[in-house]
Amino acid sequence: MTERKEHELILQEQWRRRLLRGEIDRRQFLSRTVTAGLGMAGVGVAANFGMGARSALAARPLTPTFYQWIPDLHPAIPEVNAGFPDLNFQIAPVEGFGIERFVAEAKDQKSTWDVYVGMTPFVEMTAMIEADVIEPWDNYIPKEVIDDILPAIREECSIDGKLYSWPFLLDVIGMSWHAGITDQAGLGGMPPEDWDAYLAAAQTIVDSGAAPYGATFDAHGWRSLAPFTHSMSPDVYTSEGLFDFTSDAAVEALILMKNIMALSNPDILLAGTTDGGVNGTPDELAFAAQRVGLYTKYFNAPLRMAQYWDDPAMLSMGGLPKFKGGAGSTVFWTTGSALFKHGENKEKAAEYIQALTYNPQIWQDSIAGTATAHPGQLPPYASIYAGWNADRPDWLPPFVDLVRGQLDRARAIQNHLFGLQQFVIGKPIWETYLTGEESDPKAALAKVVEAVQAEINRGG
Amino acid sequence: MKLTARMNAPSRPRSSEERAQWARANVWLFLLPALVFFVGYQVWPIIRVVWISFTDYQFLANEPANLVGFANYAEALTDPLMWAGLGRAALFTAMFLPGTIILPLLLAILVDRVRNQRVATVYRVIILIPAVIPSTLIFVLWKWMYNFQVGPINHFLVEVLGVFTIQTAPQWLGGTALTLPSIAIMEVWWGLGYHTVFFLAGLAAIPKELTEAARVDGANEWQIFWNVTLPALQPIMMILIVLRFGTSMAVIDEYLIFGGFDRESPTYTWTIFMYDQAFKTGLWRQGFAAAIGMIGAVFMMVFVGGLLYLFRRKG
Repeated sequence: MTERKEHELILQEQWRRRLLRGEIDRRQFLSRTVTAGLGMAGVGVAANFGMGARSALAARPLTPTFYQWIPDLHPAIPEVNAGFPDLNFQIAPVEGFGIERFVAEAKDQKSTWDVYVGMTPFVEMTAMIEADVIEPWDNYIPKEVIDDILPAIREECSIDGKLYSWPFLLDVIGMSWHAGITDQAGLGGMPPEDWDAYLAAAQTIVDSGAAPYGATFDAHGWRSLAPFTHSMSPDVYTSEGLFDFTSDAAVEALILMKNIMALSNPDILLAGTTDGGVNGTPDELAFAAQRVGLYTKYFNAPLRMAQYWDDPAMLSMGGLPKFKGGAGSTVFWTTGSALFKHGENKEKAAEYIQALTYNPQIWQDSIAGTATAHPGQLPPYASIYAGWNADRPDWLPPFVDLVRGQLDRARAIQNHLFGLQQFVIGKPIWETYLTGEESDPKAALAKVVEAVQAEINRGG
Repeated sequence: MKLTARMNAPSRPRSSEERAQWARANVWLFLLPALVFFVGYQVWPIIRVVWISFTDYQFLANEPANLVGFANYAEALTDPLMWAGLGRAALFTAMFLPGTIILPLLLAILVDRVRNQRVATVYRVIILIPAVIPSTLIFVLWKWMYNFQVGPINHFLVEVLGVFTIQTAPQWLGGTALTLPSIAIMEVWWGLGYHTVFFLAGLAAIPKELTEAARVDGANEWQIFWNVTLPALQPIMMILIVLRFGTSMAVIDEYLIFGGFDRESPTYTWTIFMYDQAFKTGLWRQGFAAAIGMIGAVFMMVFVGGLLYLFRRKG
């Protein structure tokens, strides 16, 4: 009996401390004390807390909200969550990158959530800042963490020197191929170093009958036109931060797309089947069905699609080919976390995101794959790569060094309110060249610039 | 006695004028819940959208909205995307609407002629199956059916019939010219049972004496159909046409799922244009988007007015 009493008092003291720290609210405190048999004694403790307790009573548990695909692809996230008792883990209402709920709440100076994990800087970061939804992490992120972020990624996640996105999952556009198909076609010297060799290899695949299609790509501009352009030159942004569609590099990229299309699946330009046509694209299906030899997209895609192959070990990956004499760059982006301006628990949110982004199991699962997923997304921190270099884990595949190497030359699409939309608006216009409706690639791209400017200037 | 008088005095109106007032008050009391719902849920949002359409309201901007008069309407009416969008929606309606009348009508007449009640019930249940499948499943099913690379329709055309090759097979969805007819076929199939039930109800309401009298007068089945059945079903047809005209002109989910935001796609109708402006592009110009919505609504109301005039009860 005495032992039990002592145990109850220890528990009571623990919960009292957690109540004062704001980790649990009054209701949780009372229900736990009653459950533990403390009854009115616990209620008395709660009543004696004074002003300090009142602020704790108003507090809520840390409430992060995730874009659905992230917990789907990263099964070790619950392991991180287990280190944060009372965490109110939620899935965000952002199907198709829709941020309207966040904006609507910010207009009322409130937020249901504390942190959103799922923001891609060039897609929605500027809009979230314009709408006063998010605030920079700089006051909460430890200095050693901010210094650990790879410089190109830090630049991607910052506006006016302030870090608005705490980077998490890194995607880089590269090249992959089906070794079974390329071997059957008699192709040696993979991967091709430049686009001419790439096209020649694709032609060989078709001519040999090893696969119906030689090569494919995702027709969305940020996944094909922009990285192909960067492979010649990444300096293709206007002073406003928009993509320079009429640059020589962009024109060459468009011509390249047309050349690849001649050897690709005929439905390559069709809209995808999910997320408003953005995902579930025909290139993925062609690669998953082993109907195409060569593929350019962020590595996450071939890794996912190869799981449907007869032998997933046939997947090989390499850097994006370049134009002869080109810069050999590509496009990358991170999916990161945004701190809600009107959220709560900001210090706690930083603590959680730090634990999440440094969790070794998440990175091992992401890179080596699990029974359920193989996203192939990489960490944004220099120290993690340094650790792997110093003591290389046996599960670390060579593509990690490759992606890391590409990152030194890769560049993110610049942040702008029309960062994504400029490619959505332009796609049907530059496709007039790809389908043969317009014979001059530069003329087609000039019309894209006009259309994007017209949209920006709408309503004066 | 006193107590009774006190209780009766305030609650029971004595004169006929008081009783009439009391009755009127009662009417409003009972109407109040419905009125609150109607005003709050239907009238107020419409008024709000009309008001927004006259402002420069941008959802992502923090500045207050300013009245801009008819500027949004003028901009929308001079925008080629608005007219292209209305045209595409009208084209889809023209493909879809006949399928909501002709096929269900034929099917209803066939089912109505089945004399065995058990068999008739089985037919009715089978016909209704698509109507009770949730929309998500319908979209997943038809996306797979229409898939260019692995869909059963193209498999049949390429591998079984050999009328196309893997290079030339039809591209049913994703923004091609076939996308609108493909969606229309899906919608007609989906609504077939539901629309057939309307006609079955209409057929059941036609007095048997009418058709029997026509037969006695020597009319054949074809003449009975044209001169008795079809005129009797006209009110059902009017209801279906008016209802389905509104829904087909204002389709948005299917276009978002099967076409995306490609502005040259046949699925980029005025509803997608409105959504694109309100939730996707720039600072989300919801004032402009509201004007697009109002123009679309007025366009539909004028057309529905024309339909009602066409189907008016003559004589």
